[in-house]
Amino acid sequence: MAGLKKVLPVAASSLALAAFSAFAPSSLAQKPSGAVKAQVVTGLTGVKDKTSGNLSVEGGSLHFSHEQTKVDVAAASMEDVVTGADSQRVIHGSVGSTVLLAAPYGSGRFLSLFRTKLETLTIKYRDSDGGLHGAIFMMPVGKVEEIKKELLAQGAHTSIPPEQAASAAPAAKEQKQ
Amino acid sequence: MRTILRGVTTGTLALLTLAAGTALRAQEQKPAKMKASAIKVEMIHADEIKLPADFQVALYENLIQQVQKKGGFQHVYREGDRNAENAPDLVVLQGTLRGFKKGSEEMRQVTTVAGETSITIHCVFSDKNGKSLLERDVKGNVRFFGANLRATYDFAKKTAQIAHNNFSPTAGT
Repeated sequence: MAGLKKVLPVAASSLALAAFSAFAPSSLAQKPSGAVKAQVVTGLTGVKDKTSGNLSVEGGSLHFSHEQTKVDVAAASMEDVVTGADSQRVIHGSVGSTVLLAAPYGSGRFLSLFRTKLETLTIKYRDSDGGLHGAIFMMPVGKVEEIKKELLAQGAHTSIPPEQAASAAPAAKEQKQ
Repeated sequence: MRTILRGVTTGTLALLTLAAGTALRAQEQKPAKMKASAIKVEMIHADEIKLPADFQVALYENLIQQVQKKGGFQHVYREGDRNAENAPDLVVLQGTLRGFKKGSEEMRQVTTVAGETSITIHCVFSDKNGKSLLERDVKGNVRFFGANLRATYDFAKKTAQIAHNNFSPTAGT
């Protein structure tokens, strides 16, 4: 009986964890091959806004692929590469939001508090005519800095160098206190 | 009964006359569109107020998309595009950030009244030589549904509508 008492809370917490993990966005999980699953928020020529695909840096270019669509942006043409933290609701979009509001006994609002942290990568680049483009990608936390470093190593420019961003972060935390 | 019918008829006629008059007056007051066959959209400048890079890019890209869709121009050029130099009747659209309040999508979802994101941009439409043709303050916001970046879409739609209302490839139409 005492053994059962010990097992029950563990089983209950495991069930609760499994239930919440069902809401985790599988589309933005990390891809093992080095490429990162990312979503184009806006601005990538030839790709529709809010398209999910694989993002990688190879051969001096930022490479985005989604099914048959493949887009390359040369790192050397990038005038600015900036990262930014952002977050996105697990159940997102206007339909998801409506569902949340319609959920009974205010449970939708409770569910809306469970968010997955995502980060944005913003790039500005020039096309062959000199026209300025901007593109925003969204991906899991921790992947953005890696991609930025790889792009900078391959000829991209940035207005916020990684060392400056690193030194600015603790300063910002100190200001909050 | 006849009196009622006569009254209703007279009232309807009066309303129709009033509506027609208002429509005519509105047409008279509507300014003639300025001639512009091409537009060059420049990146939004944020000198005094800090604007996150993703907002700046979203403003620019949404503006280009909306002007292409609704502006009525034959060509929409990006900042720095060399082809714009030879375009006849070119209008240049420049925007300067005047106000920015980054709200919270989470707050909007939870409270439904707080957490609004708003952006105010001073838009200047000028000719090739830099002479200002039209200036407007345009506000984009997101109050209920959607991510913070949706405010940039709202701004872009409104600005494209202003461009459509004031410029046309054929002058005076």
